[in-house]
Amino acid sequence: MVDSQDGRNASKSRLKKLIYDSSLRSKAIQFFVVLVTLGATYFLISNIVNNLRQMELPFGFGFVWSTAGFDVSWSLIPYDPSMSYGNVYLVGIVNTLVLSALIIFCSTVLGFVVGIMRLSKNLLVAQFARWYVEFFRNVPLLIQIVFWFIVVFSTLPAPRQSYGILDLFFLNNRGFYFPSPVFEEGFLWALIAIILGIVAFVVLRKKSEAERKTTGYPWRFFYPLLAAIIAFVAIVFILSGTPLSWIIPVLQGFNFEGGSFIPTAFVAAFVAMTIYRSASIGETVRAGIQAIHKGQLEAATAIGFPPVQTLRFIIIPQAARAILPPLINLWLTIVKESSLAVAIGFPELVSVFMQTSLNQTGRAIEIVMMVMGFYMCASLTISFLLNQYNKRIQMQEG
Amino acid sequence: MDEQTTAKTELLKFVPKPDRPPIVISHGIAGWLKKHLFGGFWNTLLTIAVFTLLYLLIKPFLDWAVINAVWSAANRRECMTVSPDGACWAGVIRWFNNLIYGRYPDLLQWRVNLGFGIGIIWALPLALKRLKGKLQIGVAGVVLYPFVAAYIFLGGERGDFHYLVFCLGLAYLILLYIDVALVHTRGKKLSQVFDRYLEPIFGKRSAVASFILIMALITVLCLYIFRGVELEYVSIEFWGGLFLTVIISGFSITMALPIGIMLALGRRSTMPVLRWFSIATIELVRSVPMITVLFMSVTMMPLFFPNTMDLNKLAQVIIAVCVFAGAYMAETVRGGLQSIPKGQFDAAMSIGLGYWQTMFLIILPQALRAMIPNIVTSFISLFKDTTLVSIIGLFDIMLMARNISIDKNWFGLHSEPLVAISVLFFVFCYGMSQYSQRLERKLNTSR
Repeated sequence: MVDSQDGRNASKSRLKKLIYDSSLRSKAIQFFVVLVTLGATYFLISNIVNNLRQMELPFGFGFVWSTAGFDVSWSLIPYDPSMSYGNVYLVGIVNTLVLSALIIFCSTVLGFVVGIMRLSKNLLVAQFARWYVEFFRNVPLLIQIVFWFIVVFSTLPAPRQSYGILDLFFLNNRGFYFPSPVFEEGFLWALIAIILGIVAFVVLRKKSEAERKTTGYPWRFFYPLLAAIIAFVAIVFILSGTPLSWIIPVLQGFNFEGGSFIPTAFVAAFVAMTIYRSASIGETVRAGIQAIHKGQLEAATAIGFPPVQTLRFIIIPQAARAILPPLINLWLTIVKESSLAVAIGFPELVSVFMQTSLNQTGRAIEIVMMVMGFYMCASLTISFLLNQYNKRIQMQEG
Repeated sequence: MDEQTTAKTELLKFVPKPDRPPIVISHGIAGWLKKHLFGGFWNTLLTIAVFTLLYLLIKPFLDWAVINAVWSAANRRECMTVSPDGACWAGVIRWFNNLIYGRYPDLLQWRVNLGFGIGIIWALPLALKRLKGKLQIGVAGVVLYPFVAAYIFLGGERGDFHYLVFCLGLAYLILLYIDVALVHTRGKKLSQVFDRYLEPIFGKRSAVASFILIMALITVLCLYIFRGVELEYVSIEFWGGLFLTVIISGFSITMALPIGIMLALGRRSTMPVLRWFSIATIELVRSVPMITVLFMSVTMMPLFFPNTMDLNKLAQVIIAVCVFAGAYMAETVRGGLQSIPKGQFDAAMSIGLGYWQTMFLIILPQALRAMIPNIVTSFISLFKDTTLVSIIGLFDIMLMARNISIDKNWFGLHSEPLVAISVLFFVFCYGMSQYSQRLERKLNTSR
């Protein structure tokens, strides 16, 4: 009697132990999560298979080799309607990357200007920068893009009355025209000379930096050697017969001939996103500079650093550490945000592939996977590379 | 000897001190101007340059938007004849109702106001200091309010379950306001007033029992009062304008918070399966643009479900935005969790609290408090990003504004509607960001 009760108690406590055993419990929870995920995946996939069977669209990426049959309004790589959907995908990727690269570069430069202006001692300048930031970051980007496209760039005069700068650059309601370079035969030599010059310049800078660190003075051979490098490149360029010329756009009839051309939608998307992101980059730069301890500036002044050198050697290296991580995030955001150009019909990836191609083929799953795959790869690559660089900068503190 | 005398005479010789520099004006208007605007040559130049730029920017805009503007006209042609180079605000004013309510029928727009009014009334008691149990009010609001609002916005035959939840929501709201009144007059909630009569029956649980009883009573009352009332049905296709923008962003941000908390806890969990699942979800969603998620929701999501299931575009979009906002919120929450010192976890563990108790009683209340400014910031960006739904054809405020230009009376009226909604967004977002900054300062000082 007593024994059996003890046994019952023991089994009860064993059960209790099992319930409160944290490792068992965590395994059970994980098992449950896996089960639910698998169940949901099975549910979704079986539905997809059923639906696709009803629509008679078997899953597969074979369609990328079939002819697209539609034209893309602007492309940097050769494309015509007889090419395949795979080519459309590439055109979209190249356009997206070019647009985002340009935006990243210009908005970073403009953002630094805005950020420094916000810290200006001049009240008018600081307030101007402040309201610039407040205005542009509190209005949705899409509205700004559409505004620049429809209100500003589409109402520009026709090609005959276009705005010209030095008769080289022309802006009108069709787009922006600029001279395009022509590389002639001997350009290979010039190119080699230019590359050599750049390598020499990098070596020179390293050497001069090392010299400055050991002696405390700038290296006196720096500027003469720099002049020598420039002279070398120039001489090679002239000796090889100035192999670079420019084709200047010329008005013929109702449009421009020759030169390069970017459409209005590109210009509008570029301007809108550059301004929009320059506001956020400006805030990042300001926060980064303000994060530097005031004592650093005072110490630099106390040991007699001139203002420019204080900025160059004290402020910027420290601010860069605080600015770079959020700046990387903003650059990634820009790559993703460039997809908003779809709203004004610029042929970037989402527009040519997720809209036109998807409407034509109806292959939702494959196309969504391909587009998202591209953005994921782009994000992961950029963040990996820049994080590597970031780590190098941050390590110098030790 | 000789040297000493010369030195002495030189010491005694009178040398006047150098003149003091003239007094620099450093006070009054002139001093202020000099300090902030005209100190030095370059500074003055900069001031003049910025001033000129401002003049060149603002003068033409004011001429266009205010001085030459037309405020009332029947159509765009009339605007053009009255003032060819001024803004035609008449079109925006004529369409203002549509910008706010979309194509919701004019006579039924009071329902939209009522629905949002109930939402505001529900949220107001959260600002009261003496009321306890705000978490419960918040959770009940998040769970019940969408049903109440949907019942009012949609109308038509909604089925018994929806009707029941609608009445439950109303009952909760009524009880909430009775409680507010009682707390301020007698210092007790209604359920606390009655629980001593129930104590003999339910013992310790009498408070909960009395709460449930009172709720049930008011719910039945509501069910009885509203039983014959049937609102006219307004299909989702007619929803639009600012109304739709607020619904999408508001619903998504409230749903994003629980999703984000779960994902963030999963990411910090010690269980590898949970952790990798959360990391994969967060990173996957965060690495793609929102527009692709929206396109996915309208093209791919119908394939996910059996085709007998009726999914409308709004539901698809809201699901997509919720997931998107949830992944971003997870990172915000993670930031908040990381700001909590490890001692808090240790202390909670040492007094014998389990995982969920530690999280919900100790860690999350502190983390959420620290995160409020960031949550407001995410809400602002979500509110702005909601304009993207216009690309996939939902009639939000952006698409409504674009549609003014294809109305035959106002054909080609592009810039005025865009400027108008820009100003609207600016006022909303700037106000919220100022609020979050004030909150941040307050939270910082109270530490």
